[in-house]
Amino acid sequence: MTMNFEKIAGPYQGLTGGVTWDGTHVLFSAVKEERILRFNPKTGATDNFRRWTGRTNGIAIGKDGATYGAQEGGRRVIQFMADGSTAPTAEMIDGWHHNQPTDLTVDSKGRVWFADSRSDTLPYGPAIFPFMEINAVMRLERDERRSWKVVRVTSDTKAPRAVVLSADEKTLYVADGDSTKNDACTLRAYSVNAEGSVGPARVLHTFALGERGFEGLCLDSGGNIVACGGSKQKGVGPQVVVFAPSGAVIESHAAPDLPMRCAFGDEGLGSLYLTSGDGNLYRAKNTGHSGLKR
Amino acid sequence: MTHARPHTNHDVSKDLIASVDLIAPGGEGIFPVKPELSFVAKDIIFGEGPVWDKRNKVLNFVDICGDNIWRWKPGSEAEEILNPSDHANGMTLDKEGRLVVCGWGGRTMFRFEKDGTLKTLATHFEGKKLNSPNDVVVKSDGTIYFTDPPGGLFNVGHIGMDSQRYQEVQPVFRMSPDGKELKIVTTDFVYPNGLCFSPDEKILYINCSRERVIRAYDVQPDGSVKNGRVFYQYTQPEHGNPDGIKCDVDGRVWCTGPGGIVVHNPNGDLVARLRMHGHATNFCFGGDDWKTLFITMVGSVTQMRVNVAGVASW
Repeated sequence: MTMNFEKIAGPYQGLTGGVTWDGTHVLFSAVKEERILRFNPKTGATDNFRRWTGRTNGIAIGKDGATYGAQEGGRRVIQFMADGSTAPTAEMIDGWHHNQPTDLTVDSKGRVWFADSRSDTLPYGPAIFPFMEINAVMRLERDERRSWKVVRVTSDTKAPRAVVLSADEKTLYVADGDSTKNDACTLRAYSVNAEGSVGPARVLHTFALGERGFEGLCLDSGGNIVACGGSKQKGVGPQVVVFAPSGAVIESHAAPDLPMRCAFGDEGLGSLYLTSGDGNLYRAKNTGHSGLKR
Repeated sequence: MTHARPHTNHDVSKDLIASVDLIAPGGEGIFPVKPELSFVAKDIIFGEGPVWDKRNKVLNFVDICGDNIWRWKPGSEAEEILNPSDHANGMTLDKEGRLVVCGWGGRTMFRFEKDGTLKTLATHFEGKKLNSPNDVVVKSDGTIYFTDPPGGLFNVGHIGMDSQRYQEVQPVFRMSPDGKELKIVTTDFVYPNGLCFSPDEKILYINCSRERVIRAYDVQPDGSVKNGRVFYQYTQPEHGNPDGIKCDVDGRVWCTGPGGIVVHNPNGDLVARLRMHGHATNFCFGGDDWKTLFITMVGSVTQMRVNVAGVASW
């Protein structure tokens, strides 16, 4: 099975980032344009889902429809409410403001797991608040009074770029590493303990030093990990790779350059949508996979 | 939402470092040869909103990120008078001596009434929430002018419970003295920030932090403005953008800008600069002779004496 990516929207200024399927439409971020767009696969039309997003990148929707954004510019995770307003979540852990949430996923309990890495996106306002040394995966969860609190999940990540949970939520997959800092980027799997902590990482894949790693992750219905990343500059090039949960590579497909994030969509979740550094939205139909339905 | 006090990277010990590094013709003697700054408050994350209250001889200021409003009487410690504060930002006094406040993160304009209660003055324009009121000035007839850029919806540590923007533009507003009418003064600005009147109230100066410009407008008898023109365009390489702005009694325009606080002649020429190590966000004149300059900064609030008097606040 091949994946042929066809441009379906764009280009927008800067990169396109977070992408998710809301059941009928694809939502995707034009980070620099500070908006989230909505692509209708039935009509091919694209309109605004939300404007003035504050340089939001990652987008995730929970089971109850709660829609969250990783606001790189504001160094926070925000919730896009159904009435059109935007609510904050907890912005700090132990008095430290987040670095720059960039990708996120919502579990069945409504907890929001997010990758908190510094990025090239400029934060808003005077640079008063220092960045944390650890770029970690964090989790937002509600306390007994429904107030948000933040928990640090990983302590061994260098620069988590993307997060996704397995269907049973017992495994957390993390795309980690910043190639511009000459990291050896990895794809990591952590077992998730009952209380929410994680065990040691199992490294499923390691890139060459300085090679751009995976930026986006999603799962298919068989539990395989679909990862997008790489670049034409170095290494094997831009690609979408399908991994078995064991880490075995099942497929790899050439992709438009600088793949950013990916998500299954369309009827039967048989298409793969892809955002990119060139500011477009791409789609590969009939992938031979169907996305994990949560 | 309440937060633990956030970690900052501010070194308050350097906030008193200042010198006069530019004097052009017309700017002689404005600042002392050796400026001497001292602290009003140190334990501040993001100082703003300074205004001297001549009735009570106190300085009011805010800490945006601390989400509180402070009052300081010379010779004593600053006292917190409101927390949370809608992440209050600019403040001024009206002719009755009431404190008028920009609720930056909370997207409100509000006022401290004489009985100590708070009165909300504005939350919406044409049915939509304001952006995030930033700075305010009250004209002698009681009209309230305020800027409404969107920074309070995005800045790290500044936002309130709804950070969605709804307004298409970034206006400067004026509210009628009875509070019933809210009108747009101008939409010329990408990021309108500080504003002040000339001593005779014939000119309204408004600055833009993003375009680094001060524009001047002729104030009409009905409170509207016309003949907007560039008063000064900053191109200096130093860090710092126009933010706080005030006039002195001779009509000079003082503004936070690249490198510190700069002073312009009424024709716009830059005539003096107080070069500061710290990041000045705003300032006001105060003290009995209006020759004390109170400077709010990222990390602290300071004061120093200057040789010319500012326009008195109400």
